[in-house]
Amino acid sequence: MEFTELLYKIFLKDGGWLTILNGLRVTVEISALSLLFGTLFGSLLCFFRVGKFTPLKIVAQVYISIIRGSPVLMLLMLLFYGVFARQGLSPELVAVVTFSMHTAAHVAELLRASLMALDVGQVEAARTLGFSKLQAFKLVTLPQLVRIAKPVYQSTIVNLIQWTSVVGYVTITDLTRVINNIASRTMQPMITITGGMIIYLALSYLVYGLFNWSDRRRGQ
Amino acid sequence: MKKIFALLMVCALVLMTGCGGSDKTPPSADETKLGMIAHLNTTEQKMKELYDELVKKADLKVALNTVKFFDNLSTMQMGLESNDVNEISVYSCVANYLSGAGKYESVPDNALSKLSDSFCFAVRKDDTELKAQLDKAIDEMKSDGTLDKLVKDYITDAEPDNIPRVEIPMIDGAPTIKVGVTGDLPPLDLVLPDGTPAGFNTAMLAEIAKRIGRNIELVNIDSGARAAALASNQIDVIFWAVVPNGNNLPSEIDKPEGVEFSTPYFKDSVKHLKIKS
Repeated sequence: MEFTELLYKIFLKDGGWLTILNGLRVTVEISALSLLFGTLFGSLLCFFRVGKFTPLKIVAQVYISIIRGSPVLMLLMLLFYGVFARQGLSPELVAVVTFSMHTAAHVAELLRASLMALDVGQVEAARTLGFSKLQAFKLVTLPQLVRIAKPVYQSTIVNLIQWTSVVGYVTITDLTRVINNIASRTMQPMITITGGMIIYLALSYLVYGLFNWSDRRRGQ
Repeated sequence: MKKIFALLMVCALVLMTGCGGSDKTPPSADETKLGMIAHLNTTEQKMKELYDELVKKADLKVALNTVKFFDNLSTMQMGLESNDVNEISVYSCVANYLSGAGKYESVPDNALSKLSDSFCFAVRKDDTELKAQLDKAIDEMKSDGTLDKLVKDYITDAEPDNIPRVEIPMIDGAPTIKVGVTGDLPPLDLVLPDGTPAGFNTAMLAEIAKRIGRNIELVNIDSGARAAALASNQIDVIFWAVVPNGNNLPSEIDKPEGVEFSTPYFKDSVKHLKIKS
């Protein structure tokens, strides 16, 4: 009974749950926007990376290796407190830019890996049969690409959600920040952080669930 | 390939068991592992040296301590609960607040009350106008008794279940100063259940803002990023604690380049806490 009361005091009392929900909203917003822009930018990067035009190929290669090889927190701090410090951009915007840049590099690599797994002969066969380049991509490459890339893409999303937990460093009150504040105020860090972990876990499972559902729909 | 892998695994195994064995040496009876909150701008090694020097100069009969640094209060508390450290060093008001959890007891050691830190605001060095205004307001508040009243309301009488709200003044058209709050150090700096920052430091600043005719905007920030945020103009004021001159030590041991401190407005001694036995 006492433990239930403690839980109530930590997570619900005095509108505490609303604050947590608000933090969760910020986390989801930043993740979703970064995923959208990251995927678009990442596809473009992959297009350059596997393309025939050498300068763009090198640019994409360098970009991917720098971004993938450095911690996202460093990039975030560098952009917010360095590059964009004088522009007066909102921290949320800088966070979305950072995480989009980061996700883009990962998406570009996962797309390239999936492309490499495809059989080149199929596209060649389609071209011989009179399909245009675009048609061959749309009807032969893309459906297989989606199927191969999907599981890796799913784990990229889950990773992205967890990476966003560092935005507290740039004055954004996200889920992690809210949980830390609660832990300090209620003096119960163990329970509070376990609670926060469960919320992140639920979010990840939601993503898994969505992918699973779409898989099953395709199967029918 | 398989053979190399197997060899690596064996090496790893040997290494790991080796580590486990050497770590088991029991600490000597009079040695305590002490947790402290790391300061912003000094290395942990320098803090350790300063701590030892302080103990020596003040001639404190403190038990031999191995100091371990934590980023903030919650991680330090977890360190204490998981027995990573045996005692934690906190300010008396924080210790009183923590005693509300009913899990900790203070270590009786009278020599410790000699150690104390002062609290002040930190601003950018080129922001001399703001510093002058802060100093003037703090002096006024000291002389007219407002400061004592704030200490009573927000520290002495503050209970974990009943933290008073801070009224943030709103003056139309007045310039805004941005304040970085961490929510990491109750009852000085904390965030209420509904997400609004509160605590003594915030109350202090709200009162000052009223006196100097500026608006304040409270920004929640991770404690590790405060110095960067201040230096890059993203925020204008942060809360700071300094070791006072009293013990033959410079007050500015961890003062970063380009930062200026206001007049100290509160002084608190240090207490050590351990898990209730």
